[in-house]
Amino acid sequence: MSAKVERLVNLTIALLEARAPLTLADIRRRTGYYQADNVHSARRMFERDKDELRSLGIPIETATGPMSEEPGYRIPRRDYELPDLELTAEEVAALALAVELAGASGTPLALAKLAARSPDPAPLPGPVATRVDVQPDAVDAVAGSVLSRQPLRFDYRAADGSTSTRDLDPYGVVQRRGAWYLVGRDHGRDALRAFRLDRCLGTPQAVGPSGSFEPPAELDLAAAVSGPQLAGVRVEVAVRPAARWAVELRGGRDTGRSDHGRAILVLDGLHPVRDRAFLLGLGADVEVLAPVSLREDLQAAYRSVLAAHAADGLAP
Amino acid sequence: MSAADDVARMLTLVPWLLERPGASLAEIAAVFAVPEATVRRDLSHLDFCGLPGLGGGDLFEVELTRDRVVLRMAEELRRPLRPTAGEALRLVLTVDSVAEAMGDELPALPRAVERIRAALDIPERAADVVEPDPVQALPVLRRAIAAGQQVELRYQGRDDDAPLRRTVDPWALHVSDGSWYLQGFDTAAGARRNFRLDRIATAEATGAPRGVDAPERLDPPRYVPGPDDLAVVLEASPRGRWVRDAVLADEVVEHDDGAVTIRLRTDAPRWVAQLVVMAAGEVRVAAPTELIELVRGRAREGLATAMGEGGEGR
Repeated sequence: MSAKVERLVNLTIALLEARAPLTLADIRRRTGYYQADNVHSARRMFERDKDELRSLGIPIETATGPMSEEPGYRIPRRDYELPDLELTAEEVAALALAVELAGASGTPLALAKLAARSPDPAPLPGPVATRVDVQPDAVDAVAGSVLSRQPLRFDYRAADGSTSTRDLDPYGVVQRRGAWYLVGRDHGRDALRAFRLDRCLGTPQAVGPSGSFEPPAELDLAAAVSGPQLAGVRVEVAVRPAARWAVELRGGRDTGRSDHGRAILVLDGLHPVRDRAFLLGLGADVEVLAPVSLREDLQAAYRSVLAAHAADGLAP
Repeated sequence: MSAADDVARMLTLVPWLLERPGASLAEIAAVFAVPEATVRRDLSHLDFCGLPGLGGGDLFEVELTRDRVVLRMAEELRRPLRPTAGEALRLVLTVDSVAEAMGDELPALPRAVERIRAALDIPERAADVVEPDPVQALPVLRRAIAAGQQVELRYQGRDDDAPLRRTVDPWALHVSDGSWYLQGFDTAAGARRNFRLDRIATAEATGAPRGVDAPERLDPPRYVPGPDDLAVVLEASPRGRWVRDAVLADEVVEHDDGAVTIRLRTDAPRWVAQLVVMAAGEVRVAAPTELIELVRGRAREGLATAMGEGGEGR
């Protein structure tokens, strides 16, 4: 193990320092590694090391020199090195705190890379009360394609349970209410669509070269995930005291009192389909007085619940 | 931890140490989130790194005096390796989520994110976080936590009919799965409790100082099933699949037509009954009988109200 770690670091240094691509023979000479008598096993060992370095994001280029058929390798410094960010001490401290507050989902190594050549963190102005769970693991599978602008193909199960194969130009990722969404142009529908990453079946596969598309200049990821703004209606409800706060938090305004002592509240811009579950959740604590169509819709919904739970085929 | 992980850390450790001659082992361990023993091992490896005999090159020189580290002759690795696309997006999204949740608490954070986006070439529109639903009680709770003051809540728990008064020593706010929680000590219950902010009807600081302080380590709010929990089986049609995301399922069985069978345990059967009613017939309780009865009761009462029985009935 110890020799391997040192070998991988030294291979990185040799390829970084090379002025021209190095063949395996050059690498053997310069590093002293890969000296097995059997040239095939030496080659295999080198190939494994090279793959391992690439998996870390180390940009190893392959080139065939003018002098020989043998492939040569090098690491271009400009692709390897992180440019200086010139973070201030306050910014480093804020980043460190953010990563810490995010708990296990934080990324200490990425932060160490970014702050390696910046000042040490400044002291923070006192304790912070907020913790955030981010859990960005789901993003790893698509991050490379989003940043290099490569089309993706994946099987997707829609909210209604149907499955289909989608081809997408992935423009970006968004987190909303704890779920991750991939947003992009759906080739089949030629339109902007958002997909929940946890509803992709299997891992999305890159199916085209880098730089295959250009995201539109005017792109609002958040709006793409929120869906179209639906026109709402004005809903009048009679509310029992227990549920009053819930209706008020939803924007309900008090407009007086009913004959039976319940408060009458008005909600503007409630969507009759999308917000139906909210009203069903409040159950007998709210009575929709208007519009009548919504009132009837709720009656039908309660009947469906009763039908689904009918005892042994008896009418509810 | 694999050799590759060790290499990734060491390629960052070298430029970090070159900038900070005399850094302590403890400091290094904290920054790289590894034990000090691992740092010592890394340093012993680095002593054998570098390429002697290459145009004046030499082995790295690691000097460890008591717990202080000086690294020399490692100019080949003077700058860190770029973060991978995955690391970069992760970091930006993590920090963005925290910045979004903290509001104005930490003004340096949004500036830092901007610099990272610029350096790593992550366009503004490649990654975003939609803020958690705004919560009315948030400013009051933030102030009370900062000032170390007790709060009085009107809080409707998942199994309560109406909001109840609770006096709470507030410890921390936590955004988990997109929902806000208050963690604190419930003085009446004499125990630690989590409160969902969207179930808080009102919150007021009482002016009294906090009675019980937060423990050293505050784990995120997670539901831990108890021995008295009810075992539940739900059958959801393709249109009722969303219920899977609303509960903490022990098991989800997918069917060919897109329907799912969900098994879960709960300490709040009335809340599960509420979810089932919200699904308007697309989710059916297969077991237990007492939950089926709860659902039927809720639906019957809801229907009676929707029909105007005992109400206004226009």
